[in-house]
Amino acid sequence: MRTSTGRRKWADALNGYLFISPWLIIFLIFSLISLGYAVYLSFTEYNLLRPPRWWGLEGYQRVLEDELFISKALPNTFKYVLIVVPIQTFLSLVLAFAMDQNLRFQRFFRTIFYLPSVTSSVVISLIFIWIFAPQGIFNQITGLTVNWLDDPRTAFYVIMGMNIFTTSGTLMLIFLAGLQDIPLAVYEAAEIDGANGLQKFFYITVPMLRPVIFFVVTVGVIGCFQVFDQIFVMTNGGPLDSTTTITYLIYKWAFRDTRIQMGQASALAVILTLIILAVTLLQRRVIEGSGSGAER
Amino acid sequence: MNRMIKLLLILTVLALGLSACGQTTTQQPQQPAQPQQPAQPQQPAQPQQPAQPATRTVVRLSGWASSPAETALLESLLYKFSVENPDILVKYEPITGDYKQVLLTSIASGTEPDIFYVDIFWWLELAANDALLPLDDLMAASGVSRSDFIPALIDAFTYEGKTYGIPKDFNTLGMFYNKDLFDAAGLAYPTDDWTWDDLREAAAKLTDLSNPNRPVYGFCTPPDPGRFPVFVFQNGGTVMNGDFTDTTLDSEAAVKAAEFYASFRTNQIGAMPSDLGEGWQGTLFGKGQCAMVYEGGWLIPYLRDQFPNTQYGVVMPPAGPGGEGNLIFTVAWGISANTKNAEAAWKVVNFLTSEASQTAVLESGFALPSRQALQNSDYLKNNPNSAAIFNGSFFGARPFFWGSVGSDVNDQMSKALERMFKENQPASEAMKQAAESIRRAMR
Repeated sequence: MRTSTGRRKWADALNGYLFISPWLIIFLIFSLISLGYAVYLSFTEYNLLRPPRWWGLEGYQRVLEDELFISKALPNTFKYVLIVVPIQTFLSLVLAFAMDQNLRFQRFFRTIFYLPSVTSSVVISLIFIWIFAPQGIFNQITGLTVNWLDDPRTAFYVIMGMNIFTTSGTLMLIFLAGLQDIPLAVYEAAEIDGANGLQKFFYITVPMLRPVIFFVVTVGVIGCFQVFDQIFVMTNGGPLDSTTTITYLIYKWAFRDTRIQMGQASALAVILTLIILAVTLLQRRVIEGSGSGAER
Repeated sequence: MNRMIKLLLILTVLALGLSACGQTTTQQPQQPAQPQQPAQPQQPAQPQQPAQPATRTVVRLSGWASSPAETALLESLLYKFSVENPDILVKYEPITGDYKQVLLTSIASGTEPDIFYVDIFWWLELAANDALLPLDDLMAASGVSRSDFIPALIDAFTYEGKTYGIPKDFNTLGMFYNKDLFDAAGLAYPTDDWTWDDLREAAAKLTDLSNPNRPVYGFCTPPDPGRFPVFVFQNGGTVMNGDFTDTTLDSEAAVKAAEFYASFRTNQIGAMPSDLGEGWQGTLFGKGQCAMVYEGGWLIPYLRDQFPNTQYGVVMPPAGPGGEGNLIFTVAWGISANTKNAEAAWKVVNFLTSEASQTAVLESGFALPSRQALQNSDYLKNNPNSAAIFNGSFFGARPFFWGSVGSDVNDQMSKALERMFKENQPASEAMKQAAESIRRAMR
């Protein structure tokens, strides 16, 4: 008896691993091993041409003393997160709430709002470059003459706006799924108690969505900390470093500079990981701690 | 039975996964060998080659592909080579996208091609880290002398007395001017003996802002580190000191040059390309919105293809208070220090930089040949525009190279200009700030 249950367990485990093996192999090779190697590189001096040389914490020290990191990349990244995450979360929640009502052409609008999310970010970036060109549609409609992407005061906000535009659709879908999970009985009970639409939204919908909000905010924060492709395509970190973020700085040190500093770039990548980890933990405490915690 | 099948399945999946990474490992055996190789680079490979003439030696060659026409030219040259050298098979593997990034990562993994383009701007990093093969012995063995090439070009690829690249072609900057706009303004065409004052006067007369949707500026001043240094040189200044250990961008000559460069836009007789919604002034020149631009020979085929109706001429950039100045952009063929077929690789390089091949390069119109002997060719006599760019190399021209922090120097130059253009920062402050940042990067 004992041996057969033991074998049975083995077979089950084997089954499980068999099913996840395609993902597991890819994860091991392209994520876990690369990740470990990046952590190793962060303690070395490495220019790609000679083998990595052990450096200890020198790379970390250089990152923390770097002017571009301290005065541009770090504040820019936090600014990006603090502006984009609240707006895109709120906007997608409102969109999801609207889409949850029985509107006409509901499916049409859902598709339209989701469309930017399935379009390649490079393509959207190019479209935004044209829209915000000096003689672009935006200036022609508004009658302004601002050179949006070439002005240090505006370029970053255009990129932020574009990111909100592209991600809100996906987040809306997640909220929509969450909304449909809220039992109708709760709303009915509230109606009987005389709650109006706004009260229902703030006292039923939002609290019931707490776990979904946590998920959306977490995904949003991580995504915003890692913003890269739009900046790479649209501004290359310029004008005047106004759009240089941590990930762009990693790329610059690792590949773009004449003297490649892969070790220093890896150190910054590790630092970014730690920042994201800390912020996510903090968030979990704030969002879960402030509520009733009934969902868990 | 079922279990056996599952096990087999797992094994196959694992095997597939392993073989996927096995492909890279089969090429990796070169990697551990790398550190030892530079000590005894090509000698062991050389004697083996003549011993086996029956098999074809495979040589891999990479470059960036800047235009289909340039790729076609290279392919036709390689075809000629294959006819003359049936024992060598050249595999052309063009790299699209970020060339330097691809090349450096392939060197790091030991999978780099035998022959590749090296740009003047960053080649020294490769040579100083033993990634390039010194070519002097191979040159001597096949009777090629350094003096066959334009001195400024071959010197630019020399490090610690050794030659690490054979310049394949070069460009300098010429002043392109739009003949129609000059005619409309009733101005005489520029000549090679123009000065900064002539440039400023002409720019003022050529500027026409009457149509707000299509302004025409006399001169385009991009915040481009590939254009601005010309003005520094013309003012008697430099970007870096002689041994590239310090920058001289905060010197009086450089600051005054920056003031002059920015004055065009301040006085509304010049503009940045981005002011007019373009990334490159070449397009604006073709459209007739910039009457004069400093560009290289690459603008000639572009105008021929995209703006065939634009009537233009090319002269050398007008001299400044400190005389003539120009930039040399050049690319060389380099051979990997880890190549197993140094001799065959050299044969290819030697063929591609031979006088016959260089003539083909010249006649294609996008770059100028590096061979001294072609200075007096008929083509240059019949093409004054190309000749102006070729001759630019003899008048105060310096290579586009700023040492190991080159990208920082470039970044800081364009940022200083951007701060002056967009934030009205005084030139002296902007250049001082740039110089300080460069010095920090050097540490």
